[in-house]
Amino acid sequence: MFPHAFLLLFFGIWGSILSFISFWIILFTGRYPESFFEFQVKLMRWQLRLNARMYNLVDDYPSFGLDGTDELTSLEIPYPENLGRGHLLLKAFFGWLYCALPHVFVLYFRLLATMVVSFLAWWIVLFTGKFPEGMHGFITGTLRWGTRLGLYLGNMTDEYPPFSGRE
Amino acid sequence: MEETVETGYHALPQPDELGTREKEDAMGAYLMMFASIGAGLPLPIINLIASVIYYFVNSKKSRYIKFHCHQSLFSQLPTSLMNAGLMFWLFQIFIYDNWEYNNNFVGYAVMVGVFNLAYFVLSIVGAVKARKGQVYYFLFFGRLAYSHAYKVRENDSMVKSAPVNQPPSM
Repeated sequence: MFPHAFLLLFFGIWGSILSFISFWIILFTGRYPESFFEFQVKLMRWQLRLNARMYNLVDDYPSFGLDGTDELTSLEIPYPENLGRGHLLLKAFFGWLYCALPHVFVLYFRLLATMVVSFLAWWIVLFTGKFPEGMHGFITGTLRWGTRLGLYLGNMTDEYPPFSGRE
Repeated sequence: MEETVETGYHALPQPDELGTREKEDAMGAYLMMFASIGAGLPLPIINLIASVIYYFVNSKKSRYIKFHCHQSLFSQLPTSLMNAGLMFWLFQIFIYDNWEYNNNFVGYAVMVGVFNLAYFVLSIVGAVKARKGQVYYFLFFGRLAYSHAYKVRENDSMVKSAPVNQPPSM
């Protein structure tokens, strides 16, 4: 985990710089710069690769780098040709209230549950060699939920994230 | 795109020849001046580091992007150095008590402020022009960036060398 986290720290700083700059670009042009968007998606894929291993959802070692590939996880985010400027301002001023606050509140408890489920699943895998499907789905759902929330708050989509981890 | 080897410089692209992505990437070079705010670290050096990273990531994509990356990076150097000087002076006065607060300091601080303001305005204009597919030359740095990005070089892969195979002399 450490080598990935170390590299992701610096890529994450670069991602937050691009995200901040993208906010102003969207405000004036109504478009998320395509190459910035691609970078953010690749960064999210890398984080997902690492998270999937940290939760024991998949085996083998995650590949390094933004262009790293993974057959066991997938994250496809369509590029939005246009983003609403009014929506952007709404998110900037009230996003914490109508989106971050309720989602983080619910996700906090879901994350606690995910930790417990992950701990139990670890023992089950140790003794049976199989990851229970329901537990796997629950943890995957938490990751999916967090990713959707990040996409919305990161101005990469105008679609309000659902209060669910379902596909 | 045709090369104008006679003039020693590659032809400048016109706005309609450039793609949206190319224009956006060129615009991004100037907006690296906000990098320190985006990173949450209010240090001027962060902007310079971000510009250098952006230059190395994007400058090979096209000459148009390279020109804007160069111009943004070159024009940021003097302001970054002046800001660093101001920080050093500030530390000597208020943190280490080595130097005294005097009119020289005020004069320098105002000068640095004016330079930063000019840099900010020029960069915004540069970003807007880059987004429109236009080339905007800063004083001195514009020529330097143009020379770096568009000058025809011997080892330039886009320059057509003289054909090796020639027809027989009749």
